[in-house]
Amino acid sequence: MKDTSITRRTVLAGATLVPLAAIRRAEAQSPAPAPAPAPSMNTDQRKILDAFIDRLIPKDELGPGAVECGVGDYIDRCLADYLAAEKPLFLDGLANLDVFALRTQGVAFASLTADKQDAVLTAIDNNQAPNLRGFFNRVRRLTLEGMFGDPVYGGNKNFAGWDLIRYPGAKLAVGPEDQSMKTPPKPFRKELFGAGGIMADGHMGENHGH
Amino acid sequence: MATNLKPVDVVVVGLGAAAGVAVLPLTRAGIKVTALEAGSWMQPSDFKADEIHNNVRRRVTTGTKVWDEIPTFRTSPDQRARQGAAPTMMNAVGGTSIHYYANSWRFHPWDFKVRSETVRRYGASAIPEGSTVEDWPLTYDDLEPFYDTIEYEIGVSGKAGNIKGWIDPKGNVFEGPRRREYPMPPLRDTDFTNMMQAAAHKAGFNPHRSPAAINSQPRNGRSACAYHGYCDTGGCHVQAKNSTAVTTIPAAQKTGNLTIVERAHVTRILTDDNGKTTGALYVRDGQEFFQPAKVVLLASYTYENVRMMLLSKSKAFPNGLANNHGQVGKHYIGHWANREVTGLFPVDLNIWYGANAQGVVVNNWAEDNFDHSGLGFIGGASLTVNHEVHPIAASAMPTFGRAPQWGSKWKKFVSQNAGRWLGAYAQCNSLPYENTWLDLDPEVKDKLGDPVCRITSGPKVNEPRASAHAAKKAEEWFRAAGAIEVITVPNTEGPNLSTHATGGTRMGLKAESSVVDPYGFAHESPNLGILGGSTLVTHGARNPTLTIQALAWRSAEHLVKNWKSIAG
Repeated sequence: MKDTSITRRTVLAGATLVPLAAIRRAEAQSPAPAPAPAPSMNTDQRKILDAFIDRLIPKDELGPGAVECGVGDYIDRCLADYLAAEKPLFLDGLANLDVFALRTQGVAFASLTADKQDAVLTAIDNNQAPNLRGFFNRVRRLTLEGMFGDPVYGGNKNFAGWDLIRYPGAKLAVGPEDQSMKTPPKPFRKELFGAGGIMADGHMGENHGH
Repeated sequence: MATNLKPVDVVVVGLGAAAGVAVLPLTRAGIKVTALEAGSWMQPSDFKADEIHNNVRRRVTTGTKVWDEIPTFRTSPDQRARQGAAPTMMNAVGGTSIHYYANSWRFHPWDFKVRSETVRRYGASAIPEGSTVEDWPLTYDDLEPFYDTIEYEIGVSGKAGNIKGWIDPKGNVFEGPRRREYPMPPLRDTDFTNMMQAAAHKAGFNPHRSPAAINSQPRNGRSACAYHGYCDTGGCHVQAKNSTAVTTIPAAQKTGNLTIVERAHVTRILTDDNGKTTGALYVRDGQEFFQPAKVVLLASYTYENVRMMLLSKSKAFPNGLANNHGQVGKHYIGHWANREVTGLFPVDLNIWYGANAQGVVVNNWAEDNFDHSGLGFIGGASLTVNHEVHPIAASAMPTFGRAPQWGSKWKKFVSQNAGRWLGAYAQCNSLPYENTWLDLDPEVKDKLGDPVCRITSGPKVNEPRASAHAAKKAEEWFRAAGAIEVITVPNTEGPNLSTHATGGTRMGLKAESSVVDPYGFAHESPNLGILGGSTLVTHGARNPTLTIQALAWRSAEHLVKNWKSIAG
């Protein structure tokens, strides 16, 4: 309960023109988080994908990369439901990437060293494998979605993506102090929609006094 | 067989931004209105602070109709048109006014007289080749009282620049004269909006704050804006965005004269042998109904208005409703609007939060606000910078030649710069052309087997030139604001599907060159009124919704005053 009340204060800080009742209406029916669907890739396919996204956003001194942030899970879940129609094309792309790696480097993509993987991806980026150009762009786009989207979709674990780019976080009301250029907004790191998120906590007491 | 329902006075097809305001004067006058809406009501709890839900997946809609009827697009008549990837509209009570940016502009007086003003100032040869532009059959002054009514009925925040000829440099000094100040001051000033206003002044421009149909202060029992940054393509979780679903529609319901039928998928408008409309046929939960009415108001999105008319063939109208002169679908305008100019700044802009309509606008390079002699184009573009940047969109930033697009170097670049860049939104005055029209796609069909709308949009010269001219000015603005990199990526192709789609059933004085009269009623079927962007004659250098709403209110008042002659 203590944690909840801190959350409430943070949400409402400075939002003097937004009545509590309005926020309460927004919270009235928090959506239940969708259960994770069955995986849409087999282990080998997932290995290729993880190797790919690990080179797009590697783990380094700035923090976790795409793999650690759950981007693979994000993409896998997309292909299982929202992007189901795209799944065959996507899996073809993974297979074609392996074919291209074998042809140019003699080894399957996931088994290459990071440098060699970069060489393969650079060649694709420079349009030396026209059949993989669209796939490359698609994976890059989905990687951004998984890295910087709401964690409820499986990516952006521990808000590491938002920490990386200093996105202050989704919340329900924002006061003038959080729109200032002089002082950076304080990071707000609480899931809005997942289980235990503030939309789901149902702990709206009556005595907030803000 | 369709079930015949009890006749009503007026049946409305589509209860969105346009009919959502029109129903208020009608029901206040005691007219019984039944509104057929393909979507349903949405509640504050349906709206999420979630970029994937709103912007990536475009889930702010009810039902799937909007996804089943996405128009197709091609750039010349010899091509096969391809269906768009995502809808430009949504289905719900309140329609797209639920998830729009809510930038609420009046068009400029020049927009209503593009042809005559251009000929007067620059000669007839200055009219762009192939353009079918005409003057509107009404002037800014004719529409001014209705702009005022809408601004006060729904609630618009802003700062007037011209009250009865008295110019206030804090507002839009280029706007047409208005009778009074906005009902609310502009949305919150921030360091960013102050910085961009100061920079515009430094560049010699006349900046002002965006007008927004969003409460900047509590109004009519609803909250002020919460500035949480999920307004664009999302609904308002505190009901501070003045969609018709929280303003005029509930007010019309209070009269007791408005019946709303949710999940009603209208398939045809029927007519008698004399060309009078008799009502609307619709499917609801798998059952077919016919709603007879004395007057039909067709009020869906531009693509759907045109499609409905072309689908509604009858003995009186073998080529589609009110289309015996072949004008339905002609004079369509896809609004030429882009973010061509992007700037990188040496400081965090902190524009994550706020609303898209929390912006700064420069109008010096729009309309006929500058001398076009020798420039080779007419019109121009408004330039807007704004708050509300989402993290996925921010990370998809250009790297200005300073970093690759992936890998550790990219990661370092975005970690520093994702919050330090922005684009200037340039909205051009856009005209109708012979090579640009709407019709029915010969192959792609919706779930009921009806063809979807097809857009044919040929090449243009005037709009890209106007846009390029404005881009130079945006570059100056960004440099004055301290940008360390500015890049311009010209868009010479214009829009395919547009969220600012206008024309297609344009208004005019003659049936030979327009579909509806100056009040929005069809030349060929006088008890058919058309509300929405499809009646616009030109597209201003700004968002169209307020103009659409002012026209809709005007049509409704006209109907009330002339009830006997129109409905009789």
